[in-house]
Amino acid sequence: MKKRRILATLMTAAMFATTLTGCGGNTNESGGSANNNATNAGNSAKKDDVQEITWMFWDDLDATEDLISLGYKQTIERFNKDYEGKYRVKPITTNLEEYYNKLNALVSAGETPDVFIVSPGPQLTDYVEPGVAAPLDEYLNKDGWKDTFTSDAVFTQQTYDGKIYAVPLNTAAACCFYNTEMFEKAGAKVPTNWDEMITACDKLKTAGYTPVTISAGTAWCLSMVAGYLCEAEGVSLPKLADGSASWEDGKLENVGNKLVEFSKYFQRTAAGDTNDVATANFYNEEAAILIQGSWVIGQINGSNPEFESKCGVFQFPGVERIIAKSDSLCMSSSTKNPEAAAALIKYFTDDTAQKYTAEKGGKIPVTKVQYDESVAPKQLSYVMDVFKGAKGTFGFYNESMPTTETGAHFDDTMVAVFLGDMTPAEAAKDMEDYYKTNCRK
Amino acid sequence: MDKMLRDKKSILVFMLPAFLLFTLVLFIPIVQSVYYSFCDYKGMTAPVFIGLDNYKNLLSDKTFGIALKNSMFFLVFSCVSQLLIGLIYAAVLTNINKGRNLFKNIIYLPCVLSSAALGLMWMFIFSPKLGINQLLEKMGVEEPPLWLMDTKGSITLPMWVIAFVALWQYVGQSMMLYMAQISGISKSLMEASYIDGCTKPMTFRYITLPLIKPMVATALSLNAIGSLKFFDLIFNMTEGGPNHKTEVLATHLYQQGFKYFKYGYASAIGVVLLVLCLLVTLFINKVVKTEQYEM
Repeated sequence: MKKRRILATLMTAAMFATTLTGCGGNTNESGGSANNNATNAGNSAKKDDVQEITWMFWDDLDATEDLISLGYKQTIERFNKDYEGKYRVKPITTNLEEYYNKLNALVSAGETPDVFIVSPGPQLTDYVEPGVAAPLDEYLNKDGWKDTFTSDAVFTQQTYDGKIYAVPLNTAAACCFYNTEMFEKAGAKVPTNWDEMITACDKLKTAGYTPVTISAGTAWCLSMVAGYLCEAEGVSLPKLADGSASWEDGKLENVGNKLVEFSKYFQRTAAGDTNDVATANFYNEEAAILIQGSWVIGQINGSNPEFESKCGVFQFPGVERIIAKSDSLCMSSSTKNPEAAAALIKYFTDDTAQKYTAEKGGKIPVTKVQYDESVAPKQLSYVMDVFKGAKGTFGFYNESMPTTETGAHFDDTMVAVFLGDMTPAEAAKDMEDYYKTNCRK
Repeated sequence: MDKMLRDKKSILVFMLPAFLLFTLVLFIPIVQSVYYSFCDYKGMTAPVFIGLDNYKNLLSDKTFGIALKNSMFFLVFSCVSQLLIGLIYAAVLTNINKGRNLFKNIIYLPCVLSSAALGLMWMFIFSPKLGINQLLEKMGVEEPPLWLMDTKGSITLPMWVIAFVALWQYVGQSMMLYMAQISGISKSLMEASYIDGCTKPMTFRYITLPLIKPMVATALSLNAIGSLKFFDLIFNMTEGGPNHKTEVLATHLYQQGFKYFKYGYASAIGVVLLVLCLLVTLFINKVVKTEQYEM
């Protein structure tokens, strides 16, 4: 009886200890292998004066094949090694779809990560306006850091009332990626206007290929195409926001009609496919065209390196400007270690990181770094050509609207048009009503 | 007993942990949520009182309408299907001796598994490129259904699929409740009914069913509340998509709160959910009239 009691006590203690260990170990798990490596590097030199900061990112560094994400992982490891005994970074990672939900939950709980990635536009505004993100001018102006960037223009979308609240890490442009082999076999030509795009899709379809792979499950992917179609129609977002233009002026209706016409060439599962699935359809050669940001180069080449030679790039037909976007890092205004956080952000824009961005990741660097074009992915040079040929850039439509929710409403409306839940005219009316109620004063 | 009740200190000591837990984990958050539902609250700044605006906005929120409709569908489907199938399982299993425990465990097993893991498993099974559709394609079906992507109809195919998966997962719980109640019925009652000429179905109809009515009310209430606040399977299988077609109240609340920082609005959805749970429980208790019998 006594033995049994002792055994029971020991088992209870062991269970309780396991539970506590489980709770304690949780933070380390989220970072994947980079996190573990980073933590190990830090632990070996753990001293009382080591400043520990957190960095939150939208990809699982342990499982990813995306070359850009792997580059970020290397940067974290390099930082932890170089600052061993002084600073240590703990990554908090999650998938892209859940990223903002989890970040917002942490912010609300008063546990904002010291450094976190964010898209410029209303999403960044969400963190700047309530004072969650800290201004970074003080650090950027120190030691000529700001001068390493290609120009001050790279900070345009990150500047609020003259203060810079985020540092861009790279630039990507939304382009049409295509399978050159499928185009050749189908006798399709690279389109330069909308009619040629439809002709090319027709030829691809006749040849037995799925012409376009797209994700409506991840609504912004479909909405990106709608954004380009709006650009072609001459939609002006600032005028719509101030009420001097109306969504019901016929332009959005035309966009909707074109989108419906174009949707005949989408893969059958477009309604529910996620961004990753739609992209995989392309690099697994199940579809001929993928309309996506050039950040996808890292994903394509990381997942199927052989496909690089078959992958061409052309500008979305019928528009003169291209959609451009950058990943940006914010510093929490509540961080206890701002110097460490600033040092980390700086590491993401140093020559090593920026060279990697271009040479391996295939994204456009934001600094004046010299990189070896001959080793960079072929697609990057095509994207650079598109950039040079374009007459300017504009932001993602959903990120250029007054609020995050307005952008999401636009995305959903475009998906509704694609699904046939709304006619293009109804979509235009819906957007106008939404703007009247929520966006115009 | 009197002596025990006189020991106020002991009563206090025994009640305090539960009271504190209930107050901190349940009561205070509910009161807070009700307050926030009347506020414009973004989580990062102080809440601003706006009266009934959040509730007014709910009326014009199309996604809320879809979510409410789907939640109601889920409620009706779960209550009816789990009641019927749970009862059938319980009646059959209490009447067989061979393999009773095996089948009981098989049916109950999904209840104890993680809904998140099961959601992912079923998502893969119903994925267009894996599982069932691969099988159907091999059998010659040219365009197999898009189980989790179809958007046609008032209640879309993905909602039906999720409802059946939920039935598979939770029917074991209803079955166990009914089995526990049926096992408690005295054998002498059954034997008396057989002597009086009852067949097995008649015994089930006239003896078993009336005696398990209190458990039917309990199981229905549990099903109803569980269905109304259903979240995990939907979130893991469709995330409310395509284009909000499978949104339910809990997923809509989550999106509004954590995606758009609209904690006040999300709290209003939470309050609606709470009120619905209370109303449905009251309704069930009113409709399923139970009488106490000696078993």
